[in-house]
Amino acid sequence: MYRSQKLSLRYFTAAIVLFGVMILFGLLSALYYLYPSMLFNVFNFSTSKILHIDTLVIWLLMAFMGAVYWYLPKELGHEVVGMRLAEITFWVFCAVVAVVALVFVFVQYGSANEFTLWFINQGRKYVEAPRWATIGVVAVMLVFAYNVIGTAVKARRMTGIMWVLVLDLIPLLIVYLDAFPAPTNMSVDLYWWWWLVHMWVESTWEVLIGCVMALVLMDVMGTSRRIVEAWLYIEVMLVLGAGILGLGHHYFWIGTPRYWLGIGGFFSALEPLPLLGMVIHSIYDAGMHRMKTANRPAFYWITAEAFGNFIGAGVWGFMMTLPQINLFSHGTQWTVSHGHFAFYGAYVCGVLAVFYVAKQKTAGTEFLDGRAWKWSFGLFNFGMIGMVMGLLIAGMAQAFYGRAIGGSTLMAFTQASENPWFIAGMYARMGFGVIFALGYVVLVYDLLTAPRRVPAPQTPMEPA
Amino acid sequence: MTPAALIETAVLLGLLVLAGGGYAGLYGYGRLRARPALVAAATACWIAALAIALAIAVVTPLDAGWKVLVVVSAIVYAVIPPATWRYLERLHVAEGEGP
Repeated sequence: MYRSQKLSLRYFTAAIVLFGVMILFGLLSALYYLYPSMLFNVFNFSTSKILHIDTLVIWLLMAFMGAVYWYLPKELGHEVVGMRLAEITFWVFCAVVAVVALVFVFVQYGSANEFTLWFINQGRKYVEAPRWATIGVVAVMLVFAYNVIGTAVKARRMTGIMWVLVLDLIPLLIVYLDAFPAPTNMSVDLYWWWWLVHMWVESTWEVLIGCVMALVLMDVMGTSRRIVEAWLYIEVMLVLGAGILGLGHHYFWIGTPRYWLGIGGFFSALEPLPLLGMVIHSIYDAGMHRMKTANRPAFYWITAEAFGNFIGAGVWGFMMTLPQINLFSHGTQWTVSHGHFAFYGAYVCGVLAVFYVAKQKTAGTEFLDGRAWKWSFGLFNFGMIGMVMGLLIAGMAQAFYGRAIGGSTLMAFTQASENPWFIAGMYARMGFGVIFALGYVVLVYDLLTAPRRVPAPQTPMEPA
Repeated sequence: MTPAALIETAVLLGLLVLAGGGYAGLYGYGRLRARPALVAAATACWIAALAIALAIAVVTPLDAGWKVLVVVSAIVYAVIPPATWRYLERLHVAEGEGP
């Protein structure tokens, strides 16, 4: 095993721990909707939500980095350059996350001054980490970029996947810098903030997970390099083609010019089209390689990613992306439903596949299967589908009663929050959230226990 | 837009993409297993997607431009699965992985 692969196992471990923290604060946040006065003045809902969302961003980022450290030496045939630095920054990253989490839990917020901005909370949604920590994250990402580019230079080898990865590192680094400015004009602030949220998470991450999935597909299914690279180029083209200006659907109601309604709506409407192609591709590959895979959990999670992405981003997104609908749906639990489903489909499923790839290699088993992963797979998917359905019902109730009937007043918001449909949706979210959490418990159990020695199938199943 | 029209329009838009996904899924599986019945079911899904798009154009209060976009999208849906499938077959055959 390469030294960088040992580092990637540490990244995976940290990611899984933070995944658990994310679920914990997700459940806590869900409870506030059922018991609004819970922990009043002790631990506010806003802090719980910050911890839920920020840990989501960090655990996925750590998992992506772990995946790249895992595959990089294999892809380039060379140990990763600057490993000592990479190992130090891993611990720095963990320390930063731990300190920020402790500050969020015990300090929570401060006065509206520079000290708070630097040491307690930046106050910008999803990038609340204080400025010193944000600088720390940039430093970690710089070292990561150095590791990737330096290794390619040292190995004197570049593959198609590596080109895409290296080029993606540029916006990955630059767009994150958008976390720093603090304009006092709210429209200007949101305009650039959406670059961070949409471009960073929805565009550069899409390309990053595309690179990771290309490597996983070659590893788990034995798909040829030419095929995965061809699809990676198509995906990059489509993500950049529809995704960049699809950013416009976030600009509808923040004080930007009216033309964003047309641009955002048009390009967002194009976004489901490539997802249809992905569904076909996953079925083709699943059929072609079904019995050739030596890692069944990874294979199922890869397949789940294609379908989850299609339904979460495609179906759920298209329901509310046109401006005339979005006028009523934005900022309700409806968007929360879309966000949960899309993130789960696009990223979480893919990352879980990588965890199982690492498990198989570290366990040294030729064929990975068993029962626990099936339980985990079922509980996760059942829990997520239930949660997003509950949130959808609650969000539609908010849009219907609070926005369309009530006219978006504070009173209408309050009344919609007391509507039986909204409350039922919130209870459903809580219940299915617990099921999702059980899936996490089984996942951890499955990843920690040694795999059963399952003999690989001797006879091929039905030919594709 | 009335409250009822809001929900109806949103649900129809979601169903349009879902029907498109059903078309893609059934088409892919039907071709994979060489089952004409599944490919026929896929075609039925696409017809459903087109019908939903037309319903959106006729029934909902969306602006005309969005209605045109929705109907054109539904028509484009027809092309994507067969075109993707053909491309995949060519790519895999070229790599010696053909079915």
